[in-house]
Amino acid sequence: MLEIKNISKIYGKEIAKVVALNNVSLRVNEGDFIAIMGPSGSGKSTLLNIIGGLEYPSSGEVILDGKRIDNLDEKDFVDIRRRKIAYVFQQYHLFPSLTALENVMLPLTFCGTEKGEEKALETLKEVGLEGRAEHKPSQLSGGEQQRVAIARALVNSPSLLLADEPTGNMDQKMGREILGLFYRLNKDGRSIVMVTHNPEIAGHAKEIIVLQDGQIADKISQKGGRQ
Amino acid sequence: MRLYQMVVKDITRRKKRVLYASVGVVIGVATIVAVLTIALAGETSINSQLEKYGANLMVMPAISNIDVGLGGLSLGTLAVGENRIPEDKLPEIREITDGLIREARGIKAEGNIATIAPKLYVNAEINGTSVVVAGVDPQEEHKLKTWWRVSKGRYLQTPDEALVGATVAELLKFNVGDRIALNGREITIAGILEETGSNEDYQVFVPIETVQEAFDKEGLVSSIDIRALCSACPTTEIASAINGKIPGVRAVAVKQIAETEMGMLEKINRFLLALAGITLAVGCFGVVNTMMTSVHERIKDIGIMKAVGASRNQIVKIFLYEAIIIGVAGGFLGYVAGTLLAYIVGPLIFGGVAVSYVPQYFLPSLVLATFVAIIATVYPAFRASKIKVADSFRSL
Repeated sequence: MLEIKNISKIYGKEIAKVVALNNVSLRVNEGDFIAIMGPSGSGKSTLLNIIGGLEYPSSGEVILDGKRIDNLDEKDFVDIRRRKIAYVFQQYHLFPSLTALENVMLPLTFCGTEKGEEKALETLKEVGLEGRAEHKPSQLSGGEQQRVAIARALVNSPSLLLADEPTGNMDQKMGREILGLFYRLNKDGRSIVMVTHNPEIAGHAKEIIVLQDGQIADKISQKGGRQ
Repeated sequence: MRLYQMVVKDITRRKKRVLYASVGVVIGVATIVAVLTIALAGETSINSQLEKYGANLMVMPAISNIDVGLGGLSLGTLAVGENRIPEDKLPEIREITDGLIREARGIKAEGNIATIAPKLYVNAEINGTSVVVAGVDPQEEHKLKTWWRVSKGRYLQTPDEALVGATVAELLKFNVGDRIALNGREITIAGILEETGSNEDYQVFVPIETVQEAFDKEGLVSSIDIRALCSACPTTEIASAINGKIPGVRAVAVKQIAETEMGMLEKINRFLLALAGITLAVGCFGVVNTMMTSVHERIKDIGIMKAVGASRNQIVKIFLYEAIIIGVAGGFLGYVAGTLLAYIVGPLIFGGVAVSYVPQYFLPSLVLATFVAIIATVYPAFRASKIKVADSFRSL
C-alpha cells in the first residue's frame, strides 16, 4: 500500500549540511507491523515524518496506493492525513482544554463531520476509555492519555497508523498495555509503522528496520511477529 | 462539533489568555468611548446653556427706546415706543429665516422651522402700580423660553389670561385666579412663573391679541425674537437678509458665547478623538503582538491540528474565530471601561457636568473592536497557517 523509493533528506546547506536519510527504500504492505529502530539521530523520526507526509523528502519517491504523494502540495495532503494516515506521538499531544471525547472528535471536526460524537465515543470504547470521555487530559494517566491519542488517530479509520515512540513516556506496565492495543489494532487489519528504542517492543513486530546514519543497516523479518 | 464550537470551548477554558489578548482592544475602545461620552455630556451641557440664551436673533423697529420700570425701580430700556413693527411683516420674516436655514442645512421639508415670537410691550397700571405687560404668542413663546417653569397654576390657554413673573406676583400679591384689569379689559391670572433671574420676573405675559385690542395697537408688535433651533444656523446671514429686504426694522444676531464654547468643544473633541484613534492604532499593534505571541506559543498546537487533519483554511479560521471572540470581549470591556472613565474624568473637564452612559455606543464598540481584532489577526493567522508540521515538532 505504501512504498518509499530511494528517499534522501538533507537539512541545511554546504558546511552545515546534515544528511538525515540517505537513499532509503521501504515497503509497507497491508497488515504490516514495522518497527523502526536505531540510535538517536539515525533518522528514524525523519523517515516516519516523510511516510506521514509531515515532511518532504529532498529526493526520492513516496507512493501511496499507487500514487506519488511526495510531490503533492499541502492542500492535497490534507485529505491523505484525514483519511489514510494517522499519527500517534510520544508526547500524546492532546489539547489540554478539550475533554478526551472532544480531542477524539477533533479529526472529525476538521473533516466537517458535525455529529461525530457517537463515532468518537465508539472509538474511545475501542481503546477502553468509554468511562473517561468527559475527563480532561490533565485528569488522565499517561497511558490513558496515549489511548485517547490513539483513539484520535483511529477515529477516521485510517489504513496506516504511524507511531513515534508511543510508549517512550511510560513505565513498562503501561507501555505493555499500549503495545497490546497496537497489536490488537494490527490484528484487526491496520498497518502500523512504529519508531522505537525498545528491543522488546521491536521483537514483536513483523519486520524490524534498523537505521544507522540515515541508512538502512539491517532488515529483520519475523514471520508473523508476535503470535 | 463544528470548528467554531471547538474554538469557543477551547477559549472559554482559557479566559485569562483571552482577556490578556484583548487588553489592546479594550484600551483603544475605552479611550474612544470615554472621549465620545464626555464630549456628548459637554455638548449637552453647553446646549442647555445655549437654550437659556433663547433667541438667536432679535428684530426691532429701526428706532425706539423706552425705560422699563416697576414702580420706582428702573430696569433698563426696552425697544418700544410709537414706532412698532407691522404684524404683516411676520410671514416675510419667516420666509427669509426658514429659507436660509433650509439652504444652510440642506433641509427640504415644508413647514415652519424657526421659532418666531412676536412681542408687544406696553406699560400698564395694575392695582395702581406701573407694570410692563408683554403681549406674546403663547405657543411660540413657550418654544422660545424653554427654561420657563410655571410654579403655580398653568400656562396660557385662552386669550383672557395672564402669566405673571415671580417678582410681580410677590410685590402685588397676585394669586392664581385673581382678576386684573388691563386698560379696562378684565383678565384672569392663569399661572405664576418660577423665578428666572431675568427681567421676565418683572413682567406680565398676556396673549398678544388681547394686548393689541386692549391698548388699541391692532396689527403692531414691538419686537420679534427669532430662534433657529440649531447651533450652526446662519444667524448673521439671516439678520442681514432681513435688514436688506424689510424696511423699518433692525435685525440683530445675538452673538452667543455658547457658540464660541461649542467651537472650542469641537476642537477639543477632534483632538481627543485623534488621540483615541492613535490609542486604538497602538492597541491594534498590541493585538497583532499578542496574536503573534499566541501563534508562536501554539506552533506545536497548530502542528498537531494539521497532523490530525486541519487544512490551512481551518487554521486561519480558528484564529479568526478567536479574533471575533477577543473583539467582542474587548468591545464589551472597552465600552464598560470607557464609560466608567467618562464618569470619573468628565466632571473634571467640564466642571461637574452630569455624565451619562450612552447605550448607542455599545454596538459600535463591539463592531469596532471586532473589526480591529480581525484586522490585527489576519497576518498572524496567515503565518500560523504556513507552519510546517514537522518544523512545529522540531521547535519543541
